Amino acid sequence: MSNVAIKVENLSKLYQIGTQKSGSLRDSITNKWDQLRGSKKGSKTQDFWALDDLSFEIRQGEAVGIIGKNGAGKSTLLKVLSRITEPTKGRIEIHGRVASLLEVGTGFHPELSGRENIYLNGTILGMTRKEIKDKFDEIVAFSGVEKFIDTAVKYYSSGMYVRLAFAVAAHLEPEILIIDEVLAVGDLEFQKKCLGKMEEVAGQGRTVLFVSHDMQAISALTSRSIFLRQGKVDFIGPTPDAINYYINQTKAQDLIYIGSPSPVAPKITKVSISTSLPNNVHTNGESLIIEITIDTPHSLQGACLSFHVVDSKERNYAHLWIFDSDQPICREEGTHILKCVIPNCRLYMGRYFLKVYFSEPPGGQIFQVLENICPFEVVMYGKHREFQWYPEACAYIEDGTWEVQHKVIP
Amino acid sequence: MSKLIIDANRSNFSINFKELFAYRDLFFILAYRDLRVRYAQTFLGVLWAVIQPLFTLIIFTIVFGKAIGVSKDIPDNIPYTLYAACGMSAWTYFAFVMNQAGNSIIGAQGMIQKIYFPRLIIPLSKAIVGFVDFGVSFLFILVLMLWHGVIPSGNILFLPFYIFMTILTALAVGIWLSALTIRYRDFQQIVPFMVQFGLYATPIAYPTTLFNEDYRWLFYLNPMTGVVEGFRWSLLGTDPPNPYSWISFGLTVGLFISALYYFRRVERVMADIV
Repeated sequence: MSNVAIKVENLSKLYQIGTQKSGSLRDSITNKWDQLRGSKKGSKTQDFWALDDLSFEIRQGEAVGIIGKNGAGKSTLLKVLSRITEPTKGRIEIHGRVASLLEVGTGFHPELSGRENIYLNGTILGMTRKEIKDKFDEIVAFSGVEKFIDTAVKYYSSGMYVRLAFAVAAHLEPEILIIDEVLAVGDLEFQKKCLGKMEEVAGQGRTVLFVSHDMQAISALTSRSIFLRQGKVDFIGPTPDAINYYINQTKAQDLIYIGSPSPVAPKITKVSISTSLPNNVHTNGESLIIEITIDTPHSLQGACLSFHVVDSKERNYAHLWIFDSDQPICREEGTHILKCVIPNCRLYMGRYFLKVYFSEPPGGQIFQVLENICPFEVVMYGKHREFQWYPEACAYIEDGTWEVQHKVIP
Repeated sequence: MSKLIIDANRSNFSINFKELFAYRDLFFILAYRDLRVRYAQTFLGVLWAVIQPLFTLIIFTIVFGKAIGVSKDIPDNIPYTLYAACGMSAWTYFAFVMNQAGNSIIGAQGMIQKIYFPRLIIPLSKAIVGFVDFGVSFLFILVLMLWHGVIPSGNILFLPFYIFMTILTALAVGIWLSALTIRYRDFQQIVPFMVQFGLYATPIAYPTTLFNEDYRWLFYLNPMTGVVEGFRWSLLGTDPPNPYSWISFGLTVGLFISALYYFRRVERVMADIV
């Protein structure tokens, strides 16, 4: 079994909650006193298994993602694997030199210059002086802060700071790399550079363990994923399957809008969307269906219904509508179901909501305005292109054809 | 390829000296960082290392030397200021390293929660940081000795031993405090008090011969007593160290070894409780 990089057997980690772990002497002494007297007063602790009997194996050269909700044990697992804290039970075997990046710029000191911080941070990450010396120019070039390398980092902009910090981390050459969401820093340009570097590392046959909430990054960088739930391995398998599993498990509430009908006024009673993946997750390019149910106690003349697709900053991305003047709606009392099909949803990856307007023609009565309902997410899973997808690059992807002509200059 | 096994059932309590040695670069760079940072943006820079003990020395000379008249209990050829300066330099180093090492783990929480390295490196590196102040005060003593024409005897051969013991004592107490402080923040309050109390409880400004022989041994329950006396003896050729000094030395070694083991025990859960 020489090709195993990490072998985890029955790993558990217990935390005691309710106790003051670093408290005052007085608490400690009174607790001891209570214990001696056999009183239960002091023992109001509660056991919490952050990791509960985990077992798995990671082969050499494999890039593995670790996903799960907050509190599922992802960070604890990384901390145990990178030896920051010791497990309560179980056994881990690690073959190869490990470097863990739970944050970038660990140990950076604001008073020191960029140059000094490269040495300091590099050493903390486990590089020797000589290794840093050899790679120094490369690190500086990667960071792009050449001009300020002898300036104290407290004068750096936050972008420069992060770039320098990441540059050091990117030049580690471990056999096993453990990464916590460090990619969630820096500007877009730099994030792209980092993702590229990560791919390069994974491509060199090194073992990579990557924890992230960003499914896009997980799907781009890893081939296999472990889904953790309440400290247990809930699913382990190919990344696309794991992501589907994740989406299924982490059901958000109120994916559907439900309202109660009124005996006097027309009302929207339900708004739902059917996406290509479960739980309002939709893949770009697939067809998206929005269904709106209206209950009206009396017939309506000239009803207008429209909706916007908005993002969390309330920017409008699309507007769709159905007016009675174009196509009769709600002319009889009772329930009406309006179904809107978007055959090729071109929305770019991101999170969106619906904003629904229900009214009479301009100048008339406004029945209802529903804001920020039916949250959904558009993703690019399985859509590959040479360059990484990165958030907020555009609003939607337009279909287009290209023609290429070659002109020879006479 | 290196192989590492983490096993909760076979917890290793021994100290991995090989690993500590492998992390020596970190040890030096942490010390370098502290030194650089300490005097960054200060106008007087390293001079501060002299100014603070200098003022204590002036007070000692006035209060102990003149007002209380301790001068008559020390050899005639040695001026009181020089006598006190010797004790002060060892004590200042001790107090500085103990204080810095004691707070070092709390101060490095950010690092401890994010990356693995032998935690012992942190308090250990503080021993180096104290050398600058120590070197400066040592120079000051040399200047005083030249000025007053005091020539060191052959005892000076023992000086490295006493310097070593000063470092060991400072680290022993410092490591104990660093581990205790994580559990009980009370110790952050205790340290300044210990420093202040120790300055008078240690025979820095006065010789132990000032006190009744029956109770003198009590002084040596303070590990710094043996060190300070020996330090002075090797430099100035004052009274030879009292045989009770062995109590001090024994305490130092005992404290140091127990500190390493207590630290190792706390190290296992350090990231969780810090």
